[in-house]
Formats: sequence, C-alpha cells, structure tokens
Amino acid sequence: MQTEFVIERGGRVGLFAAFRELWSYREITLAFAERNIRVKYKQAVLGIAWAVIQPVVFMIIFTLTIGQLAGVSGGGVDYAAFTLSALVPWTFLSTGVSFGANALISDGALIRKVYFPREVPVVGSILSSAVDFVIALVLFFVVGPFLGAHVSTWWLLSPLLAIPLALLATGVSIVFGALNVYYRDFRYALPFLLQLWLFASPVAYPLSVVSDSWRWLYLVLNPAAGIIDAFTRTLALGEAPDLPPLAIGVAGSLVVSLVGYRAFKALEPNFADVI
Amino acid sequence: MAHVVRLEGVTKRYPRGFSDGTEPAYASLRHDLTSIGRRLSARARGRTAGETGTLALQDVTFDVDEGESFALVGPNGAGKSTALKLIARISPPTAGRVTIRGRVAALMEVGSAVNTELTGRENIWLYGQILGMSKRDIRRRFDDIVEFSDLARAVDTPVKFFSSGMQLRLGFSIAAHLDPDIFVVDEALAVGDASFQVKCIERMTHLVREGHTLLFVSHSLPVVREVCRRALWLDHGRVVEVGYVDDVLDHYLEQVRLGSEMYPTAGDAIHVHRSKVQSLDESKPALATGSSVEVEILLRSDEDVDDAVIDLSLSDGRAGNLVTMSMLSERTSVKVPKGSSTLRCETGPLPLLPGQYEIWLSVHSEQRAMYYLQPRVVGALVITDGPEERRGDAYFSATRGFGPVHVPFRLKVQSKHSQRDV
Repeated sequence: MQTEFVIERGGRVGLFAAFRELWSYREITLAFAERNIRVKYKQAVLGIAWAVIQPVVFMIIFTLTIGQLAGVSGGGVDYAAFTLSALVPWTFLSTGVSFGANALISDGALIRKVYFPREVPVVGSILSSAVDFVIALVLFFVVGPFLGAHVSTWWLLSPLLAIPLALLATGVSIVFGALNVYYRDFRYALPFLLQLWLFASPVAYPLSVVSDSWRWLYLVLNPAAGIIDAFTRTLALGEAPDLPPLAIGVAGSLVVSLVGYRAFKALEPNFADVI
Repeated sequence: MAHVVRLEGVTKRYPRGFSDGTEPAYASLRHDLTSIGRRLSARARGRTAGETGTLALQDVTFDVDEGESFALVGPNGAGKSTALKLIARISPPTAGRVTIRGRVAALMEVGSAVNTELTGRENIWLYGQILGMSKRDIRRRFDDIVEFSDLARAVDTPVKFFSSGMQLRLGFSIAAHLDPDIFVVDEALAVGDASFQVKCIERMTHLVREGHTLLFVSHSLPVVREVCRRALWLDHGRVVEVGYVDDVLDHYLEQVRLGSEMYPTAGDAIHVHRSKVQSLDESKPALATGSSVEVEILLRSDEDVDDAVIDLSLSDGRAGNLVTMSMLSERTSVKVPKGSSTLRCETGPLPLLPGQYEIWLSVHSEQRAMYYLQPRVVGALVITDGPEERRGDAYFSATRGFGPVHVPFRLKVQSKHSQRDV
C-alpha cells in the first residue's frame, strides 16, 4: 500500500518534513521555473535584454545623480563600477521578491484545483529570477572592467554569494505571498516597500559611508546589506569580502527564510479557500 | 477490500462566504485589525470568537474501497465539490479526519489554469509535470494526450489563439492522462462538446477497469449510473444515504420529484429493479449512430396490474422527450403480475448522434388515469460512435447547436451558371 495521508485540522507540519516534501516536488518546482522563463521571454519583444536593462538604467541614473551631483564615492573604485556591482545582486533580490510574492495569486487557478506544497510556485519564481541574475552577472563581467572594476579571481565567488540572497528573497516573498492571499493590500504596498529597501541597502552608496556606530544595527536590520557589500567588494574592488558584515547578512538571511517558511506553513492549509 | 479514502466525522466550514452581516464576505485588513481585540478577549475567556462562515459539510462519514467507482450526488450547494477538495488535499477539514491511501489526482477543470502564451505542446509538457506526471510519463503519453484532445493540428499554436472549448479540452486531456491511484472528477464532463464528453466517460470507465479508484461528482445521473457502483447522497452538507448507485439514485430522484411536485403522488405499485441496455448487433457492442438496441428492465410489482400502458422514452436532458415508444400508439395494454417480470424493448436503428441519453420509463392506466410507475430515469444510453460516413469528425456530434438527431443529407448551392456540392 502506498503512503497514507491523514488530513486533520491543525495537523502541523514540522520544518524538516516540509523541506522533505518540497524536495520531493523539486521537478515540479523546476517546471514552474521553466514555465515562468518561457512565458517571460515569449511575451517580451526585447526578451533577454530585460535582464540587463534594469541594472544598467539604474546605474546610469545613480552615477549621474548620486555619483556626480552628490559626489558620493564608490568606496575605492569608480562610482559606476561600484553601483553596477551592487545593482546586479539587488535586481535579483527585488525581482525575486516581487515575482515570488505574486506567484500564489497568479497561479490561483491551479491552487484551487491541484495539490502541491504552496511554496512551490514561489520557489519556482525565485529560480526563474536567478536566470536573469546570471545574465546580469555576465553583463558585469563584460562591462565592469571598462567602468573601472578590478578583474580578479574573487569574481568566482559571486554564484556562491547568490545563495544567501536567494534564501532571503524566498523568505521575504513567501511571507508577502501568504499575506497577499489574505489581504490584497500587500500587493500594492510591496513595490513601495521594495523602493524603501533599495535606499536602505548599500546600492547607491557604499557601506563605508554608514558611520561606525550605526553600521552594526544597519547590518542586522537589513540582511541584504552585508551580502550586497560582499558583492561590491569582490566584483568592483576585486578583493576578499569583508567577513563580519557578510556573516551577519548570511545569518540574517537564514533566520528570515526559516521564520518565513514556518509562518507560511502555518497559513498554508487555507490558501485554496481564500485565494 | 481495503478502503483508500475514509472520511470520519468530517466538518468543513468556510471562513467567509455568505455572511450574516457581522463578517464581511471578503477579507480586509482594516476589518481584521479592528476585530483582533474582540477575538483575543474571546480567546482569553476560553472561547473562539463566534463560529461564522459557511458550513459546507457536517459530520460526514464514508469509505471508498480500492478500485471502486463512487459517485457523490445531491442538489447544488450540497457539499459535493467540497468533499472532493478535502480528498484531493486542496483544502483542509475544519473538524474530523480524512485518510487517503495513495496518490490522488483531480480531473477538475484545469483549462483555465493552462498558460495562454505557451503553445499546446509546451503546456502539455509543463502542466503535465505540474499536475504530477514525470517527464518519462509525458514522453510516453504525449501522442495519446494530443489525440485525446483532438488538437493535433493546433499543438504548436499558442493557446491564446484557441477557442475556449479547445482550451478546456487541452486542460482536461492533460489531467485525464495522469496515473494516480485515486481519481477525483468534478463535473469535468461539462467541458467540450458531446463527442468529447463521451470520450471522457470512456476514459473514466477505462480507468476504473484498470483498477483506479474513482470519485465522481456529476449532475448527469445517467452517467453516474453508467460509471459508478456506489453513491453517496449529500444534502446541505449532510449524508442522506450511502449505498449501491441504483438504490441511492432512485431514492434521490424520488425525493427530487416529490419536492418539485411535478406529478401526482399516488405511490407506485410497480418498481424498477434493474435495467440493461445492449446493442442488438453482437459483433458491435459499442453503440453508434444507427445502432439498434435492446432495453431490458426488471420490474417488481406489488399487485396484479392488468391494464398497464408502458411508455419508454429517450431524453437528452433538455425538457421533453426525443423519442417515445408507447403502447398507446398500438392501443394496447399489458398485464403485469404481482412479483417480478422482465420488460424487453427492441428498437429500430436509433438516429442519434454521439452523446448521453436518459432512458425514461413510466407505467400508467388509461381508464383509471393514474400512474403505476411515475416517469423516471431507469438507465442511460451512451452512444460513442458517430454515423458511418462521418466517423472521427469531432464537429459532427450532438452539440447544442446541432441537435441530437442524425438524418443523412446532401447540401447544395445552385447558381445560374454552376452547380456545386458543399
């Protein structure tokens, strides 16, 4: 006889069991990711270019305004190279969060009809955003040196640095995704909150600008900060990442993703009834 | 045999829905924030804040055995679809326990879930996986899925150029080729035209024969009778009856009829025990347009009836009968002795297009102007194959626009100069 499922109210799933179930749905998660990518590039005339347009346009704007007019430094490297190296991971985080948080709503028709762990479409969205990240990263490898970035073997670290970033994106979008199901208010609040988050992260200014006395609080409150700082150090400056901020960022991302996942699993059973 | 689905004292309350005015029908953050205080104080006093919402199922208990075909019947809003959702793990019970052994797949209407930007082929691959097929399964069944959906020519076209019917067929064809242990089918037959519906019924009977367990919700009682062995009758979320499909449907129909008071309720003296429909051509057991059939009905009478006029009718579910085979047309009546008897009716070739038809039976007395058996559905006639000259033509079936009756024809347009067949 096959697996037996007993479904009862309040039958809580432990985190470990949830991870195991998610793992058994990995092919389905990849199918969601593949569908997202296919749909995205089918609908968009510019196709793959969209993955690079956003960071490049922001780089130009930030360089002209904050770099030139406000005279903010790049923390030891040309401002344009600095901000592009920060925009590449930031764009991954922000597109991942905004796609992921809306995944449950856009796949509502499936959720009302088929069972799968409800985080599957969210994780699928993050994975499809990761493809854009890889394209943007390749862009940096090509364009960065011309902007003044220092070519170095530390560049090889960036795929590894993307892992805590993906966890953070998953943790945030999973919570917003769940809230979105219950209250559509969050759908409208999210773009605004993402803008605030951008200015609360060392993307338009280097981490060194933040005064020493505030820096630790800044890093703890925003786990993205330490990770983005590690990206700018390895990609733009071509040096080793500053370990304490990175460690805080990685730890913060783990906490956010685990707590978010736990909360999501508690809210999950009723999604189909309210979506 | 072991049960594969078991519901024990299952109650389902939807958090929102038809409200009594104290709760909004839709979630709003403002309302929930303002009511947190009220809820917390209620919880502090050891109670949950008033149970509101819609009660869809109340204390429902039943088992479904392995390999069984099981129907859920009842009026709209009885809780049938809710029960299926609980079994498919889409929605959790409010109280009680649902136990499921094996993999469940829902053959619900998934046409609205396919992506319209992608082609039919891409949708089969991606949604096949999302619905639970492995890549190997899809590779193996891809051609079957395309053939089943009748979309061979459109498979590389983006779905947004499909008609809504084609889109539904695509979604259903993907779902119909899953390979779970337990199939859950909810009104899926409402999709597509009649020939597609017939295909779906065949697919379901095939799955049951292969040993899959089937749970089926439909308002089409002839199909329920055709496909299922046992049935559950739900009303207002409560179980009215569980048992063999014929018994449950008879009682259900009786109640529906009593409720609507369409006929005088004299109390039937004659009861239908069992009915069977078969092709008169033994070499072709599947019914096609133009097949002659034999309807055999086992009757049981409470008394000796000596002036019985028997009417046997066919209906396609719309008001009125399509065909009535009545003893009145021969101005005869028969004797039905107390006890069991068998009624046999052989028809001539039936000019009916593929579809499902209800067989209605009534027995009445001309002199006494009363029914011995009030008109009721006693069986289903399922015609699966089209007329010989049009076989395999998907459009040539009993869709609403076409009407169910087939008459051979030639259509011509004549102008002054030329003469052309259409």
